[in-house]
Amino acid sequence: MKFVLKIFKSVKPNFEEGGKFKTFLPLYEAMENFCFAPSTTTQLAPFARDPLDVKRFMTMVIIALVPALAMSYYFFGARLIAMIIVSYAAGGMVEVLFACVRKEPIAEGFLVTGMLFPMILPPTLPLPILAIGVIFGVLIGKELFGGTGRNVFNPAIVGRCFLALAYPKAMSGNFTTAGTEIPGRMLEYIHAGNAAAHDAISTATPLVLAKQGEMVNTVDMLIGNTSGSISETSAIAIILGGVFLLLTRIANWRTVVSILAAAFVTAAVIYNTDTTRFAPPMWHMCAGGLLFGAFFMATDPVSSPITNAGKWIYGIMIGVVTMLIRNFTGYVEGVMFAILLGNIIAPILDEIVFKIRIGRLKSEG
Amino acid sequence: MKFKGGYNVLLQGRPGHSVDVMLEPKVLYLPLRTDRFNFSDICVEDGQQVNMGDTLATDPGNYSIPLLAPRTGKARLNAAQGHIVLEDITRYDKQPKTSQASLPHIEHEAGASTANRDKMVSLGSWEFVSDAYDGKVPDPKGTPQAIIVSTISLEPFVARGDIQLQNRLLKFTRGLEHLQSFLEYQPIYLIMPKVKSTFSSRVKEHVRGYAWVKIIEVPLKYPNDNFGILARGLGLKNADGPVWCLKTEGVLAVDRALTIAHPSLVRIVSVGGPEAKNPIHIKVMTGYPINSIVERYAAGENVRVIDGGMLTGKTAGDQALGISSECRGLTLMTEHTEREFLGFVRPGFGRKSYAPCFLSALRVKFKERLTTAIFGEERPCVDCNFCEEVCPAGIMPHLLHKYLYADLIEEAIDARVDLCVKCGLCSYVCPSKIELREQFALAQDQIEREKEETRLDEIKQEKRRMAEEARREKAEQEAQENE
Repeated sequence: MKFVLKIFKSVKPNFEEGGKFKTFLPLYEAMENFCFAPSTTTQLAPFARDPLDVKRFMTMVIIALVPALAMSYYFFGARLIAMIIVSYAAGGMVEVLFACVRKEPIAEGFLVTGMLFPMILPPTLPLPILAIGVIFGVLIGKELFGGTGRNVFNPAIVGRCFLALAYPKAMSGNFTTAGTEIPGRMLEYIHAGNAAAHDAISTATPLVLAKQGEMVNTVDMLIGNTSGSISETSAIAIILGGVFLLLTRIANWRTVVSILAAAFVTAAVIYNTDTTRFAPPMWHMCAGGLLFGAFFMATDPVSSPITNAGKWIYGIMIGVVTMLIRNFTGYVEGVMFAILLGNIIAPILDEIVFKIRIGRLKSEG
Repeated sequence: MKFKGGYNVLLQGRPGHSVDVMLEPKVLYLPLRTDRFNFSDICVEDGQQVNMGDTLATDPGNYSIPLLAPRTGKARLNAAQGHIVLEDITRYDKQPKTSQASLPHIEHEAGASTANRDKMVSLGSWEFVSDAYDGKVPDPKGTPQAIIVSTISLEPFVARGDIQLQNRLLKFTRGLEHLQSFLEYQPIYLIMPKVKSTFSSRVKEHVRGYAWVKIIEVPLKYPNDNFGILARGLGLKNADGPVWCLKTEGVLAVDRALTIAHPSLVRIVSVGGPEAKNPIHIKVMTGYPINSIVERYAAGENVRVIDGGMLTGKTAGDQALGISSECRGLTLMTEHTEREFLGFVRPGFGRKSYAPCFLSALRVKFKERLTTAIFGEERPCVDCNFCEEVCPAGIMPHLLHKYLYADLIEEAIDARVDLCVKCGLCSYVCPSKIELREQFALAQDQIEREKEETRLDEIKQEKRRMAEEARREKAEQEAQENE
């Protein structure tokens, strides 16, 4: 790989002070450090550092998403790839633009946002709308707050929320049925125009059907053989990737456990008040975006509370609010709003825990 | 006793059990500045011949702790900057002889305890004592609220206590007795590893008879041997007076000074780390040229020499020529030069991380070959909370970092930045590669300085007030006299 390094070295002067493209120095640096680990060495104690860096940190999330991605590719076809490419391109543009203007290095957080965003959208959502969504999410949800590490909200959720409010029809009418034949839809490219030809009719998601009194089989939802946002349908794949994320300790188990437990308990309580009107708790666990939100969205370290106590309360709140929205409001799915609400109160929760802990520390020593 | 946080960094090259005796070098380089000391008061002239154990310089800021000549030789003051160079001369006096001139206070008609304290200072064993809270040298005249003696060193890599104790157990217990003579009813806490070994049971047997020695067993997890952590864990409050802290070598030095009135001039230091050919302990005298040690033990050319352990030491740069009187070990690290292609997606089978994000998590314990690489660029904090998890002091490094980043020093004081023991673990685990340890150290320094300034200001104001008062009184007197 020496020759790649040579190429980098030969074009570097263009990006340095006085070069033609000196505004794009952050882009160059990001590319170089993406390919080659930086050569910087420790100048201060400790003299060796843990090999985990933010790039690896974010890569682990991508790896954890692979099972869910594979399942969605199987069920919804090759369009997923186009959506991911558009998402990375449009969002990356905003990221690079802000980095160049701010003269700050490009942060790796977008690697995850760009991947997560298309995964929570309807499978045949028009690509321009997707691009608008990701641009809005990155711009408003992250860059205006100062970039990765300083954002209050999860940018992917902000983008999706924007789309849900701005394009309600596109966001609710594009849920196609999943491929049920053995090869799935792996070789098909289904968009809104040719969906009918591929026998992929837009249908309601399980949560919508439930409101109409039609229950989708829990086993189908476990495998992912239903309609819904691209990667939220297959519970097994999400759990597989999510557990991996918990084992690598990138996502905190407290958030996940508290969300799922709170959602389960709330759903059970609601179910027992009227078993004919409400869905059973196990069904709720597999339906919609609850699992995906719990494992991949709510656990975003930046927008979730940093303290452990804060994480418990945050998780409980998301779980309870999700179930309340699902069962008692006009919206069929509440995960998105619940997580946004959680993001809002996360700093307050942290502040309270900090206060208590500082008070305790003060009395010591 | 309960411990928070902590993490054992697996680093290759743990020094073994054997102790190598180094050949006596032609020239010794005695550094005039060490971590805690600044030997600015030089007692010898250029070219003067000195005996083994003579005082070469003292530190006026630290109770006149002396820098002793480790052997006879000719002192050169200007040969190397910041060092006293001791050239070898034909030995005319093999016996370590502490000249009477360097020990004037012993002749004083003071109590036995005071004489012993003076002896400890002038024979160079007081420098082994530190205060638990600020790490500085405590006042030798004071009485501590407790003494903590630690036999373990957990940082990779500094000289291990059990190595130093080999064949010296009797001296060690005698040293403890000497220390006890400075106390009235205060206890001595003896920190022992929480492992069953024949050696530790032997030590326990030896001190069983001493009611004033309280054995504390500590799990072997860095930095449980840190005196600040231990003092807090034992419930000793800063306000109740100093806590004297000694390591094994300190107790042995006290014994040597008070039993046979000899200075401790030879020390055992470790030579370890991934780049050490044969990780080992060596017996050297202060001022031993670092270069010749490195030449002998370094495996390759590409080596960074660290004075002290990997987590809290400091680079022994070109300025440091000889082993300082505070050195506890040399860590030889491989200097990182190679740039890894797509390093962040590699499986990392040989790469141990705090969060199990590499394939190595599936392996049983192994020694990692860490280099001086930072492994990434500095990024804003991503709130992963790893720093808080490993923090042994129970503070919140991420919060402190945000306060200090925004220059909120008052808030940082409230959040107890002063409790940081600078173990370096937060900086080690941080995926965003933020220099947390350095930031906290700087903040602590700043707070200390500001405190000092306000104190000086108060003194100044007090003086002015007194002068004012005196003048007024004088004027009144004069007025009275005039009447």
